Amino acid sequence: MLQTKGTDILHRWEGNPLIRSESLPFSCSSIHNCAAIKYNNIYLLLLDIEDLKGHQLIYLAKSKDGYNFTINEKPLIQLSDIKGGRNSADIGVADPRITFLEGTYYITYMVDTRLGFRLGLAKTDDFETITHLGYISEPDTKAGALFPEKINGKYARLERPKDGGRIWISYSEDLTYWGSSEVLLSPRAGYWDFHRVGCSVPPFRIKSGEWMLIYYGIKNTSAGPLFRIGVAILDRDDPAIVLKRTNIPILSPREYYERIGDINNLIFSCGAIVEDDILKLYYGAANSCVCFGTANIDDVIGHCIESEKEF
Amino acid sequence: MNRRRFAYGRDAFHRFEGNPIIMLEDIPFRANTVFNGAPVKKDGEYWILLRVEGQQGYSLFALARSRDGLRFFVEEEPVMMPAKDGVFAKYEKRGIEDPRITEIDGEYYLLYTAYSKFGARIALAKTEDMYNYERIALISEPGNKDGVLFPEKINDRYVRFDRPIGHGIGCIWVSYSKNLIDWGESELVISPRGGYWDSYRVGASIPPIKTEQGWLEIYHGVKMTSAGPIYKAGTVLLDLQNPAKVIARCEKSALSPREDYERIGDVGNVVFPCGTIVEPDGEIKLYYGAADTCICVATARLSEIIDFTMGTLKKAVLTNENN
Repeated sequence: MLQTKGTDILHRWEGNPLIRSESLPFSCSSIHNCAAIKYNNIYLLLLDIEDLKGHQLIYLAKSKDGYNFTINEKPLIQLSDIKGGRNSADIGVADPRITFLEGTYYITYMVDTRLGFRLGLAKTDDFETITHLGYISEPDTKAGALFPEKINGKYARLERPKDGGRIWISYSEDLTYWGSSEVLLSPRAGYWDFHRVGCSVPPFRIKSGEWMLIYYGIKNTSAGPLFRIGVAILDRDDPAIVLKRTNIPILSPREYYERIGDINNLIFSCGAIVEDDILKLYYGAANSCVCFGTANIDDVIGHCIESEKEF
Repeated sequence: MNRRRFAYGRDAFHRFEGNPIIMLEDIPFRANTVFNGAPVKKDGEYWILLRVEGQQGYSLFALARSRDGLRFFVEEEPVMMPAKDGVFAKYEKRGIEDPRITEIDGEYYLLYTAYSKFGARIALAKTEDMYNYERIALISEPGNKDGVLFPEKINDRYVRFDRPIGHGIGCIWVSYSKNLIDWGESELVISPRGGYWDSYRVGASIPPIKTEQGWLEIYHGVKMTSAGPIYKAGTVLLDLQNPAKVIARCEKSALSPREDYERIGDVGNVVFPCGTIVEPDGEIKLYYGAADTCICVATARLSEIIDFTMGTLKKAVLTNENN
């Protein structure tokens, strides 16, 4: 039996929004989204915050219970930390995603440069000192996420090149030079994700060994885009193979805080923590605040299968 | 080469009076158009790998041969078709386009555009004899084309230019590789210039030519007008050790569509070089597609083009050469 409460498969926390701009110890324009990880029994979020100048920076937030967060006053990642050379990035660092890989925490982020979106890579062991490893894509690529282990001897990542709005997978031997790119997931005509798709949460293994990919899908309407969250299950040995895909989203904008903000009707996640078979999803709502929701992992997997039966 | 056979007009490159050198009528099989060919001089003979667009609408490659680089005949059968199986088939469903060939250590590497519903990507293949091509890898993500490979490694890495599009702006970028398959460390080389003939989009056109003054790249620049794009060719000199560093960039276009065969065709107002032959006497033969409908050649002295790029070419030089 699938547990379903409410309209969506993911259950919103009643205290949402979890973090709003009023929660910060400084003024800002808006909070867009966040990466999430559990580190030394502390819940960490990397918040993508737009300051009052309009630039985006990454701030660290910490919590013991996953609900009450303390936000650092100084940014953890900002443009001036990243060597850009002539490719001067002049808008910001956004959409961080954390992957624990070979004993180190890797952070992929998107840099909005004058000449397009590029993926950057950094690593840290303590979330205090960040080592920036450089850009790992050309423009226009965003929504980059590393797999937490090597795939057939190579590092692997997901990404969203602009052309086609699809999720692609690429491989590398050294995290610097990337290749063998292949299409992984495409928008589906007629569906809620018909316009564009991109990776939300870096893929993680479920109990049976397959990979769970939590992704965002966009439907375009005459009033603008609708951003929702869906799920796919990828082959355990070759994650380029999509085994299952939800026909329905697991979360859609419905609440006021998801409907109203800098970008209306937007749910956008960059991170989740899985504990005791519960998916704890931290997501940005309306590009203005961060929210929280949970679902039983088995329910989510179940819905990947069940929703195929729906029309 | 007999200079009288080249028209010394308003451009830095001088058109061959026998242009177009390859037209649809020269293709021995049914086709729609021929354009954008990659030239190679090998064993004293000239070869051009031709992009031929079939009447189905997708492109394939045919081969032209010549003894003088001006009069070509085209082989009976295409030499490379969109792949029918393997990973390449998925990404070449809509054809293979715009070949560029670079010789590295006696081997000929072909970069081309693999086109499918997933977008345009850069692909790499290899040939020894110009007839048989071994595909190696798809080396870019979608939305990227105009890949050209450098004829030698820099700091032990292979180098390429390519043309991704960011925020709608098509620029020339440089990327590096240790194995020709995985690429990274990408950097911007040049971007469009507002108000110039290359204000809309730029892309690498030819595999770079090594000169004492730096890498010479002949690129295509696009200006968008209310009636559509105008494709011209320009030049830029880049640092030999760091090709992202611009030494000089031409102010003026080096070749613009002017002749009927450049103005009129499937895509009018296009000159689109895909390669050069630099002769031992310092003459460059620039092979270019015109109006997406035929192939032409123009010529210049390498030294003139360097001066042109640096802005030090005297107009008198052009006039004198006319004699």
